[in-house]
Amino acid sequence: MTDKTDDKSPPQPPPPQTAPPQTAPPQPAPPNLKWMGKTHQWGTRVKPGKHGLRLGDLNVGIYGEVPPVWTDQTRAPRGAVSRRGVPPLGYAIRDKVDLWADSAADMYEEAIQRRWAPAVDVPWSTVKPLPDDVERSICQVCTELSQYANADVESVTYWQSQMAYGYHEIKQFLATVSFDGARHMEVFRKRALCNGGGLGLEGPGEVNRMILESRGGWTEAVLYLFIVRGLFTQTMYRYLHRYAHNDAERTIFAHCLEDKARHLTYAIDHLRYAVNHQDDQNLILQQLCFIGERVLVRELKDVVLREALTIVFGNGISEAEEGGRIFRRMMSDYITRYLATLKWLGVERRTLFPEELSAYLKAS
Amino acid sequence: MSEAEVLQPSSTLDLGWMDRQGEWGIRAVPGKQGLSLADIQIGSYGEPEERSDNQTGRPRGAGARPNSYRIGGYAVMSKSEIWLDNASFLYEEALQRQWSSATDVPWHTIKPLPDDIEEAECQLATFFTEVEFVAGDVPARWIASTTPDFFEPRQCLLAQVMDESRHMDVFRKRALANGGGLMQTSGGTAGVVGSIDLARDFTEMSSRLHISGEGAVLTMFRMGELMAYNEAEKAMYRLCAQDEARHVAFGVMHMRYMSETAPQRREEIQCYLDEAERQILAGSQNPAGTQTDSSEALAILLGGGKDKYDEGVRKLIAIRKRQVQEYIKRVRSTGFGDRFDNGRSQLIRTFDDHAAA
Repeated sequence: MTDKTDDKSPPQPPPPQTAPPQTAPPQPAPPNLKWMGKTHQWGTRVKPGKHGLRLGDLNVGIYGEVPPVWTDQTRAPRGAVSRRGVPPLGYAIRDKVDLWADSAADMYEEAIQRRWAPAVDVPWSTVKPLPDDVERSICQVCTELSQYANADVESVTYWQSQMAYGYHEIKQFLATVSFDGARHMEVFRKRALCNGGGLGLEGPGEVNRMILESRGGWTEAVLYLFIVRGLFTQTMYRYLHRYAHNDAERTIFAHCLEDKARHLTYAIDHLRYAVNHQDDQNLILQQLCFIGERVLVRELKDVVLREALTIVFGNGISEAEEGGRIFRRMMSDYITRYLATLKWLGVERRTLFPEELSAYLKAS
Repeated sequence: MSEAEVLQPSSTLDLGWMDRQGEWGIRAVPGKQGLSLADIQIGSYGEPEERSDNQTGRPRGAGARPNSYRIGGYAVMSKSEIWLDNASFLYEEALQRQWSSATDVPWHTIKPLPDDIEEAECQLATFFTEVEFVAGDVPARWIASTTPDFFEPRQCLLAQVMDESRHMDVFRKRALANGGGLMQTSGGTAGVVGSIDLARDFTEMSSRLHISGEGAVLTMFRMGELMAYNEAEKAMYRLCAQDEARHVAFGVMHMRYMSETAPQRREEIQCYLDEAERQILAGSQNPAGTQTDSSEALAILLGGGKDKYDEGVRKLIAIRKRQVQEYIKRVRSTGFGDRFDNGRSQLIRTFDDHAAA
């Protein structure tokens, strides 16, 4: 098959979009078949492996060439022959360094394989009445987690649609992230409304605002959404799983942990890619961390989530002292992982790290 | 006291927040389909108000904080703009019917095909790879700008973005699985006036995306048996049709709700339908349309080869007729069927001519 894309013929006009209504039966024109033979690479035969035919398997030949900048502003799939003269769509994120992660295609397929449905995969019948203070606290925690998931959804969907088509693996992976967010919003709401309780008080929203206002680009959003907030949420999930009151809660947090692990894998992979391919990106991330940590500290001064977690972990107000110890251990775990992650990324966080956060490390 | 100490839990708890929570005493009970979204629409957690004032991202029904940050800047704040009555059902069904293009399509059933058939298959797969994520990009934008008080429709749209992502990948997989490759794009999803991308209103977008665009594709997928050459392709079309049917149902149910609750917008909606109808047969977003490379590819697939093109065209015309019939049926069910009776719709004339031919 020949590649006819290098011909010097003038660009074809784009197909009409707003042609007048047909008033006669639309008779098909005789075929021109000019589309035949228009390919950049023919003879591709990707075979399924033991995990089926995966997205990453398709990255062979030119179909696997991911350029550093995607200049095409249409929805031309990577490797397809673009039609000339098509009006641009105006994708804002077109540099590979601004979104790429090698793991995205694998994480996409993993997300699909590990799909779950809160309605049927959570053993709701195991939720039994709890003491009022514990139920109020778990409902409060679920309310804030549901709100966190809402911020995940709003942030990811906002950015996803601005990403160039050539980096389809990222767009597709992010579709799974926002769908995970939908499930998390749903499952925490269900938990709050199934055991004689209700939703709690909304969260302060300062970190949510920071995530949604990541005007510096998707990489900034990734740092705030998946690292500053995401690691915090994941650590919380781990402790809530450990101190769950029934199998339903254990199942919920186990699934959410799995989902969150994928999001973190992408985030770390992307940030590493950005640091390695862009001058001073580690310094930019350092500055962003400096700002983000202070926003987090201000939000943590709000007593509501902290008290609710303390009661959940201690299994009652009467055991608040023990619950408080567990809460501090959770915070210490979070900060340890946060600092280790940034260190691995090459982002130095020894200077100007908030005393309010390092205090948790000292206390442990 | 240092700020560091402030963050440490004190032995004395404030607990004032316990008096500021949402409605208490709710005990949703799982039904035979598990604990569904519909099961938790109870008490004050049921249907939202007609107008949302939620700018903080607060879960619907949660206690409000007067000092919470206004993070939303949501554009869709009126229920009639996005609501539909069966969103909970559609979302739960979407969750139950998720599938994997890696493992649920019997790829091993794909065997070498004659060159003209393989080329036609790859042209069609290229078209779908190009257009399927229009329905991912565009709903995603609307999700982020819709108040979470209307989370049920948002959940459906999130499921749709996921579905479209899978559609994009299954057709890319097909193009690269059998000795072929991707071919030339249609350019039919460019940002020109009247396109799905440029809609400034959710219902406007939905009329083009769900009712017209996806409706036409749904008809095709449902007739996938006619153009499939192996079990893998049959499975692809069947599974995609299942997803598209939900998306189309979303559009139909939303427009019906809009028609019933915002009659002052009926004339405006009729204009969107006028615009959508111009593209059903003549536009390039319908692969079976009259002006696309993909329609030639379809004719080759339907006929069984380049040498049986005329036979393929006859089947293609049958598909177009069915697309029109199903579109009319959908629009009638939304409450805008008068356009087919009062002469406003040009499509009915085309359809009548078609039927007479």
